[in-house]
Amino acid sequence: MTTILTPNPDAGIAQTPVRRCGFGPAWLLPTAGVGVLVAAVTLPWLINAYLISLATTALVMAVLAMSAQLLAGLPGLAPLGQAAYLVVGAYTAASVATLTGLGPVQLLAAAAAGAVAAAVTGVLAVRARGTTFLMVTFGLGELVHAAANQWAPGGSEGIHTPPVVALPGLPAMVRPGWVYLYVLACTLLIGAAVAVVVRTRFAWLLRGIAAHEPRVQAAGQHTGRLLLAAYTIAGGIAGAAGALAIADTRYVSPADAAMGVSALALAAALIGSGSMAGACAGAVLLVAARDWVGGLLGGHGPTLLGLAFLLLAYLPRHRLAGLTTRFPRRRR
Amino acid sequence: MGLAGLVNPYTITALDGVAYGLLLFTIAAGLTLIVGVAGVLSMAHGTLYLAGAYLAWYLADGGWAGLALALAGAVVVGAFGGAGLAAAVRPLTDRPLDQVLATLGVAYIAADQFSTVFGAEPRSVDPPRALAGSVSLGDYQYPVYRLGFIAVGVLLVVGLFWFVERSRVGAVVRAVVADPGMAAASGLRTGLVRTGVLVGGGVLAVTAGVLGAPVIGPSPGVDTTILVYSLIVCVVGGLGSIRGALLAALGVGQILTLGVALVPGAAAFLLAAAMLAALTIRQRTALPGRPA
Repeated sequence: MTTILTPNPDAGIAQTPVRRCGFGPAWLLPTAGVGVLVAAVTLPWLINAYLISLATTALVMAVLAMSAQLLAGLPGLAPLGQAAYLVVGAYTAASVATLTGLGPVQLLAAAAAGAVAAAVTGVLAVRARGTTFLMVTFGLGELVHAAANQWAPGGSEGIHTPPVVALPGLPAMVRPGWVYLYVLACTLLIGAAVAVVVRTRFAWLLRGIAAHEPRVQAAGQHTGRLLLAAYTIAGGIAGAAGALAIADTRYVSPADAAMGVSALALAAALIGSGSMAGACAGAVLLVAARDWVGGLLGGHGPTLLGLAFLLLAYLPRHRLAGLTTRFPRRRR
Repeated sequence: MGLAGLVNPYTITALDGVAYGLLLFTIAAGLTLIVGVAGVLSMAHGTLYLAGAYLAWYLADGGWAGLALALAGAVVVGAFGGAGLAAAVRPLTDRPLDQVLATLGVAYIAADQFSTVFGAEPRSVDPPRALAGSVSLGDYQYPVYRLGFIAVGVLLVVGLFWFVERSRVGAVVRAVVADPGMAAASGLRTGLVRTGVLVGGGVLAVTAGVLGAPVIGPSPGVDTTILVYSLIVCVVGGLGSIRGALLAALGVGQILTLGVALVPGAAAFLLAAAMLAALTIRQRTALPGRPA
């Protein structure tokens, strides 16, 4: 019953368009990955505290971009409300922080709360497809934003949280370098979990929904449930990003649920055009454009972000994507 | 007997809700046609409202001349804004996500420029002096401007209904909503209709901004608020349906005023429930969206 879709795994994989960098020799990609990792770990010793805190923000947005990519890249449904689950996670982590300063506990609680919130609201979202999905998720995100203003502790002022403790016995992290390394470690863990998820059969079914939903339905799959599961996982990842945001800024307010955050995550996912690493790179690029270049130019971050969106819309990404999808995936 | 009994805090709030709903209808009618006809989800629609509101604030002089000047300016700004958006999304036909990104980019740039030019604090706009007072309804005072706005809103509703459902141009617009391919095959110039709808929607949104400025004044963030409510109206009312938009806008207006007065803090949940109900009911009749 459940093996109908994959009569011949190799043929199925070869035909499915997978965004994958097909340029250069085979050793290039792992080498580049190791290089990025080494650079990311040594970063706190190389740059000043301001840039380190920007890098931490970029990592939080990278996690949120992975959450958006799970929906935009796999089943092809672009979400514009992921910041809502980030805020749900952040407020949960802030509540847990009054009981324990332990970061991993906050992370797990936030992920669980984000997943629950996504499961509840996802019932609504997965009824829509295409542009309507975007509109509904946008509406949901803004409604959570409005509800947070009214119901959340601290109101529109937000609440401050104590510094996070990475592991039992360690001192609380106050210096931005340690916070950065903690967030980096959590991001890598979440990234590894996401990398496992996108290689499961579940992820292939989601890709199938993007390609032709009626056919997946005809194969006996309940696409609504699959999408709800994907939406829930994405909400959990976004909630985890909320806990990381708390560790970063030690502050949460309803403004974190603003459209700008969701839009940045979606744009980063679109820059990644289907790949998780690409989404993370896109998030880093967009945060750098908004906060770093915006800071250099005296605070026109939104204009720069808008220009980045326009650029992204008009670049012939589809032709570029076509270039990279032509190469079949290497056999694992 | 009837009138005095009718006037209580709830009916006054409900009257506010009617004004709010008509304002939302004026904005969302343009958006629902833009989405339904041109297939463009314009994220810059709230920006057009905000532009109109700032226009009203800039030109308001307490008399009729300022309002007339602002309305004339609204037509110009709306037409140029709509035409600009149409030109911006033309190269992106059949790429809805890129259209969203492009209009979102425009909205971001405009919002940043607005707060640079007009400052970050909220501005309050006074209506013309002739409409500035309030009348007594029973034991309550009600602003004359809101009553006037309701009257103008009803006129706009009637005009839009006549235009979309009775006039020849409206028939062409509805034909493009129903079946763009068939409309093009029978010789209708769909490209022109798409541009026209974007221009018309832009003029409506900026005009709503000028008229609505004393109700929802210009401040940073208003563009997003207006965009959210008009998108909810579009989702609940069905894309491209002007009747649906009217019903949904009046309903959302009541939720945001009477609903807030009756059950404080429940507006968000009520709106989400309305969207859920609309999507559930509509899903039975048609597949939501087409496969890409």
